[in-house]
Amino acid sequence: MIRLDRVGKTFRGRDGGAVEALREVSLEVAAGEFVAIVGASGCGKSTLLRLVAGLVPASAGAVTLDGAVVRGPRAETAMVFQAPTLLPWADVLRNVTFPLRLMRRADARTEDEARALLAVAGLAGFEKRLPRELSGGMQQRVAICRALLQAPRVLLMDEPFGALDALTREEMSLELLRLWTARRMAVLFVTHSIPEAVLLADRVVVMSPRPGRVVDVVEVGLPRPRSFDQEGSDEFQRCARRIRAHIFGGRGGTGDGARAA
Amino acid sequence: MIAFFAAWEASCRLFGIREFILPAPSAIWGATVAVWPTVLGHTWATFLTAMGGFVASVVISLPLAMLIAASPTISAAVYPLLVVTQSIPKVALAPILIIALGANEVPRIIVTFLVAFFPLVVGAVAGLLATPPELVELGRACRAGKVQELLRIRLPFAVPFVFGGLKVAAALAVVGAVVAEFVGADAGLGYLIQTSMSFFRPSLAYGAVVILALMGIVMFWAVELVERVFFPWSSGAGQPALGA
Ligand SMILES: Nc1ncnc2c1ncn2[C@@H]1O[C@H](COP(=O)(O)OP(=O)(O)O)[C@@H](O)[C@H]1O
Ligand SMILES: [Mg+2]
Repeated sequence: MIRLDRVGKTFRGRDGGAVEALREVSLEVAAGEFVAIVGASGCGKSTLLRLVAGLVPASAGAVTLDGAVVRGPRAETAMVFQAPTLLPWADVLRNVTFPLRLMRRADARTEDEARALLAVAGLAGFEKRLPRELSGGMQQRVAICRALLQAPRVLLMDEPFGALDALTREEMSLELLRLWTARRMAVLFVTHSIPEAVLLADRVVVMSPRPGRVVDVVEVGLPRPRSFDQEGSDEFQRCARRIRAHIFGGRGGTGDGARAA
Repeated sequence: MIAFFAAWEASCRLFGIREFILPAPSAIWGATVAVWPTVLGHTWATFLTAMGGFVASVVISLPLAMLIAASPTISAAVYPLLVVTQSIPKVALAPILIIALGANEVPRIIVTFLVAFFPLVVGAVAGLLATPPELVELGRACRAGKVQELLRIRLPFAVPFVFGGLKVAAALAVVGAVVAEFVGADAGLGYLIQTSMSFFRPSLAYGAVVILALMGIVMFWAVELVERVFFPWSSGAGQPALGA
């Protein structure tokens, strides 16, 4: 469904210099597939998502969605950013419904659906709160609800749990998996955490920097539903080791270094 | 506050400071109350001019700020002009306006507007441009156009900044009204100050000054009240929180 065909992206700096963020990136994501992207920071993961979201144009190659070239933001795509990016002036409910209202897609059921989603995310009773009254984890859940309410067929998540503590993070990954299982959209999920990528994804795309390229795509053979108990399994270890080898390549990094986000 | 007035009263009596240098609070009070209906009329006239100028500032500054924030070209063309209006002494401008427009309320409101509007424009522009790029990108991801981005994202984000400007403008509107009245008016507290000084009644002039100070404070508070009632998220935390 999503297809990147030898996509390149070069940013022109204000001083005239150019940064090649992505080079010859090819990738296909099927409908309903969960794909994680890992790589050191600066290797173009966010740029990749923003290309798929239609927020920036490709410099080379093409991004297509169901065969149509992506030329701008599309209604079937929703994005979750690293920071919750909530509107500080709107309460939780109005934050969640904001994209639909902005796109004039809100109807009589929108508010009920939003309440139902918030309840699933453990935010029942917080509908009328302002973002600043919520913890970081709760704010990020609101942001995820906001994306899901758009009933996207493509969900783009850019280090959505990056700012959360480890416990909240594990809890939220499992919650995300439950929601994804129920709704089955294609997910592109950027993370710094190798265990998180392996646990969540059907496939893990490993990228390397300068310029950003895809160096490997690891198929994760773990059965679903997934849980953190699988971290001990051979398949989990095999995937994690292979990803780590790419990222720490010549530098011989070992152990848990990559876990720290 | 009470201690301040007590010290003022006491030093006037102790050192025998003469009235035309610094009248005692009791003298000010007495002189003001003696002609209370007249003072009230002048207060009302000044209040109307200040409000007129304040409302004109709001009505003109906000759209102007949006234009400036929307386009660097407009900004480059308009900002220098605004700065020029700020460097012209309004006292010098007032008589010219009165000759051109007649001795009525219009030139006074224009002078008040010229004194009050600048911080409002600057505040609103700052707020519109301070909108975090992530929020703007969220809008773009939701397929918002330039106008929607301005009205649904940048403008609400700018509200705390706008209120900062409004508070300054409210206080300056009183100053502006008095400046205008000094130059050409037959009513208002500025006019009262001038006439009572020329009739050697400094206590009454001081009374008018105190009322002016109170008017500035009340207008400032009124703006703050509106902010607290209608935009509670704006006044509460100082800086709007964007989350983790
Ligand atoms: N808008 C931009 N303008 C200029 N350079 C950019 C821009 N966005 C990203 N880059 C550059 O592109 C490279 C990849 O950035 P990014 O996609 O954010 O990486 P990641 O998300 O993997 O950390 C970096 O070198 C970054 O400096
Ligand atoms: Mg990034």
